[in-house]
Amino acid sequence: MAIVRRAEGRAYLTPLVGFLLLFLGFPAVINIIYSVSTVDFQTLRSPTLSGFGNYLAVLADRDFWRAIFFSLRFGILTALIECLLGLFLAIFLAPLLSKRSVLMAPLMLPLMVAPAMIGLMYRLVLHEFAGPVPYYLFEWFGDSPAFLDVAHAFWTLTVVETLQWTPFAFLLFYMAYVAVPLDVREAAALDGASAIKLLWFIELPLMLPTLMIAFFIRFIDGFRVFDNVYALTGSGAGGSTMSLSIYIYQAFFKEGAIGKAVAASVVLFLASLLVLYSLNWLAGRRRT
Amino acid sequence: MMNTLRWIVFAAAALAMNFPIIVTLVTSFKSARELSVNPGLWISQPTLENYLRVLTQTDRFNIYSYLWNSTVASLIGTGLAIMLAFPAAYAIARSEAGKHTLLPIIVNLRAVPLIIFAIPLYMMYQWLGLLDTQLGLGLILTIVNTPLALVILVNAISDVPLELDEAAKVDGANSFQIMIRIIRPVVRPALVTTFIFGFITAWNEFLFGLMLTTNKAVPMTVGASFFFAASGGGVQWGTASAVMILGALPPAFLGLLMYRQISGSMISGAVKG
Repeated sequence: MAIVRRAEGRAYLTPLVGFLLLFLGFPAVINIIYSVSTVDFQTLRSPTLSGFGNYLAVLADRDFWRAIFFSLRFGILTALIECLLGLFLAIFLAPLLSKRSVLMAPLMLPLMVAPAMIGLMYRLVLHEFAGPVPYYLFEWFGDSPAFLDVAHAFWTLTVVETLQWTPFAFLLFYMAYVAVPLDVREAAALDGASAIKLLWFIELPLMLPTLMIAFFIRFIDGFRVFDNVYALTGSGAGGSTMSLSIYIYQAFFKEGAIGKAVAASVVLFLASLLVLYSLNWLAGRRRT
Repeated sequence: MMNTLRWIVFAAAALAMNFPIIVTLVTSFKSARELSVNPGLWISQPTLENYLRVLTQTDRFNIYSYLWNSTVASLIGTGLAIMLAFPAAYAIARSEAGKHTLLPIIVNLRAVPLIIFAIPLYMMYQWLGLLDTQLGLGLILTIVNTPLALVILVNAISDVPLELDEAAKVDGANSFQIMIRIIRPVVRPALVTTFIFGFITAWNEFLFGLMLTTNKAVPMTVGASFFFAASGGGVQWGTASAVMILGALPPAFLGLLMYRQISGSMISGAVKG
């Protein structure tokens, strides 16, 4: 006995679908039209079709490739470090946390604070006169690097992102770790498996799906990073911290290059569809 | 021995991950004079003057306005997302509609960088007069919140035994009545979690606040950055710190209140997503 008939089900879906079409579908169509048009802020409502010039301009723009490279490197690196650190913390601290769950709270606090706020906070933390990090480095070592110049900005941002989002990976891994069935552990112990072997042959394989999901989520978030980078450096340090999101933002708001910004958006859209599609395909293959 | 090591690692991790928050909290209790000679982590003369200044001198930057804008926009963005997602989740969990196409599309939406929709949305908002309004920001936050809300609610409703619906149907209830009178009370915890989680996400959003608001509807995350752009005499670090603590307090408070539920739904959102 079906509780909700198909027609009724459609009716319940309608408001959501309508809302998404209006706020995502319509913009997507505008994106595609404007990306093949000549348009500026004066002719915003009457774009003239002009072929693929915007795409060619974007693909010929060195800053665009630089932004892609930054985003890729930043996404992969932060996701990797976050997952490794998170995995270590989850397994190493599990005996402590399983007894006192209140200890989770300080480890989750960074997730509750806006990344933009964290970015602003690091302006203070790293400030050469008001910041404690340069202060103590001077005190102890007599020198402190310029954290936000061209040579260091990428690594500073990597640390900032990693410290805020390691808790996310940690949380997923901790949940997956404690979800390993007790009888599996006991059976392995009965067979004389050492703790290392138990971890390597039993627990980690069971956690593997979670590991992959966490890496994927963190990669996506690192790849599209905007808030903390923008708050901390802008595209600053000679453009060396321009992520793809910041590239699009700058092209539109700072240069008024609407066609270029929109074409870059479409490229990013296609890229994320490609990634999603291949991941779903991979997941589908794993299941069968 | 091993246990001591675990405690040390725990303390180091907690300190490192919360370091910017700790520094900001400490700085917010320092006078400008003390800060100029002591940027370290201790306070010799704690003072509330920064908080007083932020809360009383509102002629240039009005923190109440930022807090209010964030509150209203986040409430719209969370409330509307739940109102749209709840019936949809019910349909997906209890019929075949939407299960095979719509749900995967919306779930995958979380992995699409929303900035690609930002420029057309900006232009659309200009035509509709929604730029720099709380409603406009709230509508975007609805988009941000919808995927996770849908996933959490579909999972919650799927866990409700079908016998409850069937019993109500035998008593003559139609599907709408079942959804409102039977399902809604049962999945209340999930609705609350969705709300809290959505509110935190909405409050912490920055990109669309930056692009779609300029003056009247500026949310807290964007407003806080104004205190850093203040010209003349550089940044007032004490004041800026107090602003950031006040701005980070609502989501941090909600999050710590509900961290057990939130971690649970974060998992379900991530794993099923």
